[in-house]
Amino acid sequence: MTKTIKIDHKNIYYPPGGILIWIIIILELITFSAALIALVYMSKEDPELFHRSRLMLNSTFGAVNTVFLLTSGFFMATTVNHFKKQDLKKTSFYLKLTMLGGLLFLVLKTIEYHYKIEAGLTLDHNTFFTFYWLLTGFHVIHVLVGIVILGYFYFSLKNQELEDIEAGAAFWHMCDLIWLLLFPVIYLIL
Amino acid sequence: MMRKKDIYTLAILILLTVSTAILSNNSNNFKYIIFFILSLSGIKFILVAFQFMELKKAHQFWKSLIVIFLILFIGTISLIL
Repeated sequence: MTKTIKIDHKNIYYPPGGILIWIIIILELITFSAALIALVYMSKEDPELFHRSRLMLNSTFGAVNTVFLLTSGFFMATTVNHFKKQDLKKTSFYLKLTMLGGLLFLVLKTIEYHYKIEAGLTLDHNTFFTFYWLLTGFHVIHVLVGIVILGYFYFSLKNQELEDIEAGAAFWHMCDLIWLLLFPVIYLIL
Repeated sequence: MMRKKDIYTLAILILLTVSTAILSNNSNNFKYIIFFILSLSGIKFILVAFQFMELKKAHQFWKSLIVIFLILFIGTISLIL
């Protein structure tokens, strides 16, 4: 029989994942949202240019990548659920699926970047693409860091505490949250 | 075992993602459409934070902080556009 681990998350100092990761999450969200607001503000100077540039992006790639990240987030939640029950076999299995979702995201992003570079839509093409490359690029770096963290957990699962797994999961979900801000603003509304 | 609520949440999230993409590709950029797309994205944001990140179990402070952040973000972008 498996035992279940519990932490009192109702305590203000113990949100799921711990207070430190939540301070990081809030700061990251503020940083990305400030950059997105700057992008939207600058689009008012030349709306036609920003609209035409936005239409050069493949929103299908963006939507599929959103599905990859959301599905990966679902597997991460399932991973934490199994770890709480100390079912390490299933934890390990769902952790692999979580990382697979992240890797699929990166593969599709690489294909998208390849098309953009081939079409000459690089960082200095115009202001929209400067924002596009910087925002999505920084997000990709976060996904890469997240995969490294999850990979570390995968290889040292037996030695991990619930708080550490929850903190790693919170970081992974943060990548979802950031993407959920980037996707509509960059790919859909300008 | 996968939790039923998580499965339903994922289904809604995928549905909302597809809906916003279709809506964006098949409409002119009217202001109310933009606000609608941002609102649907906001619902996705809340679902991930409260269900997958288990923020629903957290102290009221953290829940309020995320909701206030989201309202300010969507509100500011809608005002600028």
